[in-house]
Amino acid sequence: MGNVSLRRRKERRRIFLLLLPIVLFSLLFVYYPFLRTVVNAFSRVNSKGEIRGFAGLENFRYTYSRPDFLPALIHTLTIAAINVPLTLFITLSLALLTEKSRRLSPLFESLFSLPMAVSMSAACMIFKSMFSPSVGFINYFFSIKCGWYESSETALISCVILTIWMGIGFDYLLLLSALRGIPKSVREATMVDGISLWRRIFLVEIPLISPTIFYVFCTNLVLALMTSAPMIIIMGVSSASGATNTLMSMMYQSGFSSSDYGLSAVMSLTAFVLTLSFTILSFVVEKRRVHYDA
Amino acid sequence: MTHRRKEQIEEIVVSLVAIALGLVIIFPLIYCFLSSFKTPSEFLDPKLLPSSFLNLDNYKAALERGNLLRYILNSFVIAFLGSAIRLIFSILAAYVFAFYDFKGKNVVFFMILGTMMIPSDVLLATNYLTVSRLHLLNTYMGVMVVSFVSASATFMLRQRFKTIPRDMREAASMDGYGDIWFILRVLLPITRPVVTTLFVQSFISLWNSYLWPLIATASSPEMRTVMVGITRLNSWEDENYQLVMAGVVISLIPSIILFLIMRRSLRKGGLEGSLVG
Repeated sequence: MGNVSLRRRKERRRIFLLLLPIVLFSLLFVYYPFLRTVVNAFSRVNSKGEIRGFAGLENFRYTYSRPDFLPALIHTLTIAAINVPLTLFITLSLALLTEKSRRLSPLFESLFSLPMAVSMSAACMIFKSMFSPSVGFINYFFSIKCGWYESSETALISCVILTIWMGIGFDYLLLLSALRGIPKSVREATMVDGISLWRRIFLVEIPLISPTIFYVFCTNLVLALMTSAPMIIIMGVSSASGATNTLMSMMYQSGFSSSDYGLSAVMSLTAFVLTLSFTILSFVVEKRRVHYDA
Repeated sequence: MTHRRKEQIEEIVVSLVAIALGLVIIFPLIYCFLSSFKTPSEFLDPKLLPSSFLNLDNYKAALERGNLLRYILNSFVIAFLGSAIRLIFSILAAYVFAFYDFKGKNVVFFMILGTMMIPSDVLLATNYLTVSRLHLLNTYMGVMVVSFVSASATFMLRQRFKTIPRDMREAASMDGYGDIWFILRVLLPITRPVVTTLFVQSFISLWNSYLWPLIATASSPEMRTVMVGITRLNSWEDENYQLVMAGVVISLIPSIILFLIMRRSLRKGGLEGSLVG
């Protein structure tokens, strides 16, 4: 008996030691900073990041009444509103086009998914150069004079183009593998019944892969709302005109350029709550429409 | 006969359309590659092709003046060690989740999965303060330390480990072999494809990361990573894009090669659906 309990204790100690690294680091670098952000949002924080007392809703009032807050919120939502449906349309079309395995399939798939391997900063530098108003290839090729990233009217839409480009690869592969996962029997049944191509796509295939479409929709939404900061920093458009300031780039500037941790925390929290509520909302809306037993 | 003919035509048309679209999609990369061979005066004339592919001045300048060699070394150390540590942590945890039952198992499991719900951008400011208090700013450890936890790697490894019968571990422990022996000698050899894929995936994502390395090495130019380095190439002289493009090509070589190799091995191993990218 004593032997068994000794072994149990030893086993528990081993489990503890094996889990310790990942648990420790997730507490220290994920949960603690997250909680700290929440606490900071309600506290007076000095420029060294130390808490100097409870602030109630003061940080929120201060942030939301800033003249640059509303534009940043609108920019964030605009990027998401254009980016999410457009990415879904493009990637779904590409996936449907190449759904059938062909001799050259590996080639198309590599071409379509390659942007995935490109880092944000490399992509930014390429687009910045390609869309340069003076020496860029795009203006030359289409013989237009557009300011793209350097003019306040077009900077936002230019950022959307880049975001879409970066997102194509991953979503395409996800949708493709979902389409290829549709059971053969279903496909053969539609062939035999002689359903037209469009009906097959809209009435059979899209409903069958709707869980994946929904997943792509949600991840894109989160990405569009959250990760625009590096792009805007590299492109250097926001400091000049404020035309592309988003919640995240404002968070970054307030946290690192002006060490205003209260403001930075409120911006982070706002973006996080916004993302979370959109995700929950889409779960509620899609619950009835998504087909989960393919 | 006519049916087969129709299928052949369809095959050709679809293939041509797909290749054309594919070229449009990777056009930015083609453009970048071609531009990296241009001379400064050629660059002012926005044609696509450089006059010669033998002009390697931009590459030389990027590596020497832009200090890219040092940055490549930094990136390599960070991506390699960071991925190794990330994988070790994930393997240990996934092993416990797959082979042991204990009180609070679900709590710990969901705690680790929950890290996926919190976007890393939200954590930047506090992590910066933490890392600076630990005196890790401008060190390799400081850049890596925030990415040791990977919920998705842990989850995928657990799924894979669960397909291995628990009896095997019990037999090993009866024979007096410990956890680490079992992981190294039994588990890893069987699950090598998944582990390798996760490692490559993690390497690419750490190699490509920008915002955190930028912040964590802000005060020490020597410690910058290559992705931060390439954005600085055109700051000392204005509109130095041909040089930047050479830097970008250099920075992209490892991730693109690894990406293509990984896709091929995934396709061969029939793992396509389970691990996208």
